[in-house]
Amino acid sequence: MRLRRRLAVATVTVAVAMIVALLSIDLRSRHAEGATRLIANLERLLANPGEQARCEADPAAWAPPRRPEPRGQPILRPPPGPDGREVPPPPPPLDPQLRLIELFVLDGDLRPAHPGGVQLDRELVRELAGTDAIALPTSWSGGGTGVVVKTPWRVGPCAYVYARGQLRVATSQVPLKWPWLLPLAGVIGAVLITMGPVVRRIRRLTEAVTASAAAGFVGEIPVEGGDEIAGLARSFAEASRAVRAQLSATEQREAVLRDFLASTTHDVMIPLTVLQVHLAAMEEDEQAGKPRSGTTLTSAMDEAHYLGALMQNLAAVARLDTGVWQPAIGTVDLNALVHRVVSRHQAISRRLDIAVEFAVPDDPVTAAGDITLLEQAVSNIVYNAVRHNRAGGHVAVVLEATAGDRFSLRVVDDGPGIPADELARLVERGFRGNAARTRSPDGLGLGLNIALRVAELHHLDLRFGPSEYGGLQVDLEGARIGGLAPQ
Amino acid sequence: MGKLILLIEDDARLGEQIAARLRREGFEVVWRTEGSLLDPRELDDVALVILDLLLPGTGGLDILREVRAHTDTPFLILSARDDSHDKVRALRLGADDYMTKPFWPDELVERVRARLRRPAISWGDAINVGALRIDLAEHRVEVDDATVELTRVEFEFLAALARKPGVVRTRSWLTEHVLDPDGDATERALDAHVSRLRKKLGPAVRIETVWGIGYRLAAGGGR
Repeated sequence: MRLRRRLAVATVTVAVAMIVALLSIDLRSRHAEGATRLIANLERLLANPGEQARCEADPAAWAPPRRPEPRGQPILRPPPGPDGREVPPPPPPLDPQLRLIELFVLDGDLRPAHPGGVQLDRELVRELAGTDAIALPTSWSGGGTGVVVKTPWRVGPCAYVYARGQLRVATSQVPLKWPWLLPLAGVIGAVLITMGPVVRRIRRLTEAVTASAAAGFVGEIPVEGGDEIAGLARSFAEASRAVRAQLSATEQREAVLRDFLASTTHDVMIPLTVLQVHLAAMEEDEQAGKPRSGTTLTSAMDEAHYLGALMQNLAAVARLDTGVWQPAIGTVDLNALVHRVVSRHQAISRRLDIAVEFAVPDDPVTAAGDITLLEQAVSNIVYNAVRHNRAGGHVAVVLEATAGDRFSLRVVDDGPGIPADELARLVERGFRGNAARTRSPDGLGLGLNIALRVAELHHLDLRFGPSEYGGLQVDLEGARIGGLAPQ
Repeated sequence: MGKLILLIEDDARLGEQIAARLRREGFEVVWRTEGSLLDPRELDDVALVILDLLLPGTGGLDILREVRAHTDTPFLILSARDDSHDKVRALRLGADDYMTKPFWPDELVERVRARLRRPAISWGDAINVGALRIDLAEHRVEVDDATVELTRVEFEFLAALARKPGVVRTRSWLTEHVLDPDGDATERALDAHVSRLRKKLGPAVRIETVWGIGYRLAAGGGR
């Protein structure tokens, strides 16, 4: 159902219910007033001294006297007695405001004296036991107000009087006239007229939201006025902007992912191809009966090692690039970490004739961090020093506990140096410089970029500079924590 | 007979390669491919356990958890998953070391040896490393049972290295802990002391210069 129609129906329903309630209250009120006045009139009538004799003389015909005619003659005035005695004064007439509809007397067993009278319910008799008069329920009384009154003598054929009457002058509290309905009609009309613009604005808002959603939440949703509908429009506009931002972020992530996937594929394919070429060369040498080339074998192993490191870097990047991943921060034993990293790269560095040595303090140096990421960062720094070194070269890794509860991890090599202007860009992903070290087409330069991101994530200082031996010196410094490491 | 290593690795090719390499290095290897709980008594003669995490049957972490309280045998964890939570859990459960795949056989052997390496033999105040014997209480040094006269700085330097043979001491650490702070406590002075010390000790005791770091005493002493 449309909003406007629903409002009209609701308004009419409420109005009708209120009218019925008011009429009911009014009816009860008039009933109560009629009963009170009827009982008072009957009691006054029955208190008349000759009324018992008059009633018992002819119970079926007993009735209150009529009001005097304009000519001044009461209708039921009794004629003078034959014995010449003085006739009792006539009973007081009924209240002129009351119109008597039905009246008859009943004996002690509630049998009506009048042939057209009604046998009253025994329940009423019980109710009358404790009182002199009762008003009958509306359903009992039919039209007008019904009452039953005990006569003062309470015996004989005129023990009770039943009367049903109606007030002549309406004392209604609710004016039951048609102009009275005008305000109601006006209210309904006003509601419907007022709802017109409201409904139109809601329709416009609905169309704007639908159009915005269809266009990928690109367009703005108009906000009119400052009322609740405007508030709703503002909420829609804010939700639209939030959805737009989310969509934009998702699109950006997808673009980065596509780019990353394409670059990664390239990165993996190059060393894999080199590895295949080395293996093919070894096979050809073997088939030709040539002695196995140690250089080719070492190069193949180098590529395999590089591939392993690359896959670990890709896993690290996947963790770092995702917006929902949280590092598993714990206590990391840096002594053990350095040992693991060096032993990982020593296998290949020995074959490349590059010496990798390390020194750690006697007491474990511990730091708070994600063990996998920290190890990957240090591994990348050390592997960078190995990968870009040359036969006969050296790499030294030194971990020290320094003053102020800090640690220092230094990686020094004697490989090709890097110009000062290229040092700052060394950590950029995909950076290729002119120096011999940065000319190497080793993929996208993920390693040091990851090291930098891990350092930032762990609030560590990562610095690059020329080493005193002509190569690169990398310093990683940060806060250490006390106590023994779990490893 | 070499030290006994229990290898629990479900991959047939990798397990075979690891077992073969360790045997070539002189170790005795028992290889299991199924994950099942270990009886602590069967580890009495085992020098080290190499444990894969992802195993059919009982997982590696469950095996470690159940047996760790009943044995001191070192556990080296092998895992293809480079995940911090796994590593931290393994270390908290009492693993002594872990390695992530892929790895070189050399690296595995080196890690096994490092875990099984015995500290320098010391009897009270004496340290023995190959031909070298140092009496810390008497401040006496013997090479091949012949006494070598050393200065205080030379003695402290040699003792510092001999306490951890094969381990590199940085020049800055040695300068700070060995040289007399009131004297010429520079790295250049340290080099001069080392030069004199090498001459006094002869070829039987090898003090190695480690590029970019400092010095170490060869683990076997010299020869």
